[in-house]
Amino acid sequence: MRVEYINPFVESAFNVMKEVLQSEVKRGELYLKSTSMPVMGVAAIVGLAGGVEGRVLFDMDRPTALKIASAMNGEELTTMDDLVKATITELANMITAQAVTKLHELGFRFDLTPPAIFTGDNMEVSNQDVEALIVPMDTVHGKVEINVAIREGRNGGLHED
Amino acid sequence: MSVQTAAATRGESQAEKKERTDKIDYKMVTFSLAGKEYGIDIMNVKEIARAGRFTYVPNSAPFVRGVYNLRGDIISVIDLRTMFHLPAERKQDDALESLLILRVEDHVFGVIVDNIDKVVGVSSSGIQPPHPIFGDINVKYIKGIIENQSKLYIILNVEKLFAPKKAKEDAELGRLAAVAPVAMQASPEEDAYGNGRPQASADITADFIKETLFSFRNFGVSSVNERWFDERYAEWKASRKATDLQLKEQTEADQFLDSFHSPFSGELWSEDYIERVMTALPTLQGKMITVWNPGCSKGYETYSFACAIKRAYPEARLKIWANDSDLLAISMAPNMVFMVDHVPEVYRDYMIKGRNGWTFIQSLRESIFFEFHDVLNSNPVPPVDIVLCRDTVSFMSVADQKRLLSEFNEKVKSGGALILGSKEDMPFEGWRRTPGDGASVYIKGA
Repeated sequence: MRVEYINPFVESAFNVMKEVLQSEVKRGELYLKSTSMPVMGVAAIVGLAGGVEGRVLFDMDRPTALKIASAMNGEELTTMDDLVKATITELANMITAQAVTKLHELGFRFDLTPPAIFTGDNMEVSNQDVEALIVPMDTVHGKVEINVAIREGRNGGLHED
Repeated sequence: MSVQTAAATRGESQAEKKERTDKIDYKMVTFSLAGKEYGIDIMNVKEIARAGRFTYVPNSAPFVRGVYNLRGDIISVIDLRTMFHLPAERKQDDALESLLILRVEDHVFGVIVDNIDKVVGVSSSGIQPPHPIFGDINVKYIKGIIENQSKLYIILNVEKLFAPKKAKEDAELGRLAAVAPVAMQASPEEDAYGNGRPQASADITADFIKETLFSFRNFGVSSVNERWFDERYAEWKASRKATDLQLKEQTEADQFLDSFHSPFSGELWSEDYIERVMTALPTLQGKMITVWNPGCSKGYETYSFACAIKRAYPEARLKIWANDSDLLAISMAPNMVFMVDHVPEVYRDYMIKGRNGWTFIQSLRESIFFEFHDVLNSNPVPPVDIVLCRDTVSFMSVADQKRLLSEFNEKVKSGGALILGSKEDMPFEGWRRTPGDGASVYIKGA
């Protein structure tokens, strides 16, 4: 993954989470992974297409998702209902959007898909031939892993005529 | 822990005096192997058990006795005596063995020992470093030696011994293959690569050094760098005492590797070196020149090479994919800033003065993609004219080296070139080495 892509994602994830949760957020060590990996229980996915293509996946376990949604809504949520799902989707949207804005400023041009959310047990995400950057974030509500697998599209990501 | 307090109160005058001054802060489970006493940090020991009738696993390493069902969890069982080439009495099939259940990171497994003794508490300040001439067990697997109640215990380094890494096991197997003739059935595939040769097993020290180079610096000795290794080993032997040949710590491994590194690692290439590399390269046709530079580290060689190509082919469009798995190093690469005194004359045309110092011009920087990427994952690079990969292939396990080289074999266009480190060789067929000593340049299909 291009070095230029990394920071926008790390920074915006950090900023957005800190802002919406109103609490300390710690960033773990970044690493690369290319094997299939387990999904903790709730996963929001945003697709990218254009000069840069790939996907960004936000992964957390169910209690964390509930707590984050509770914190964001300012009320206690205990079941995985539409509101919780919509809230997590929104979080994914906010983080990705902010990262994308930064990338646009650097001259990369591409589009986003609306986020989709998956919930379930024993899920696994695998695209074998794509290497993913894992950005682990530790919040007071639990661990959120951001899994970024993007690479430049056909014209190399840079805006060219 | 009652055993330990009992031992402490037993009151042998000297030992007691010594123990009172020291703090007991290290506890180990002690056991015996072939009559000698050993210890393992209690933090690594989950439990002890007596068990037998292990399920044999075909085609596993000789020291793996099989798998065992520990209350529903399947764990593998390793015979430490076989692993260390110690004599072991052959028990009857249904006899029970003494089993230490160890935990290293997330992995749980059992090791068979002769007898489990007790828990001994000692002061970690009393642990002495291993002596390099311990015969049975390679020094790097030993954490140290400690005396307790006038007995000497050898403390094993479990993390090193059973690091849950595949590469590690490969190395282990390689070593066993070298020492124990039972495991010496090199597959024909390995033969083609040139490492199935009957290793000069007479020289166990050389094998140890190979192994320690790998565990300290991830340096895999194979046909890629064997020529250098043999030379260096001879030199090393000549310059040191026979008892002092093994590499006991990282700094010594670095010392050994000192002569391996290519010229101008971690700095911009000199004009002279650029000349030498460029004359060794074939003449490139076509308007577009593509380069793949795995293991570019901080990007010095990438920029150097980019300028070299630009100078030789000013008309061509250049595209370089440069990647490294060291996030810190590669993060600096796209926006590198130089002080003008440190920049050789030849680069000045491609640089511009910025606020903080000199940087490379935009058009040059745009031709390079710096990526945080591990070459052992799949490489989405299209076929390229040149692969520039100095001193990178050697720093991985032998199996990974082979995989990466065959990827180079595939990715370089016919008539294209592969540049390896000055001490590295391309073991594959169908490549011709061009003369010149600064870099190993190979041309494909020539």
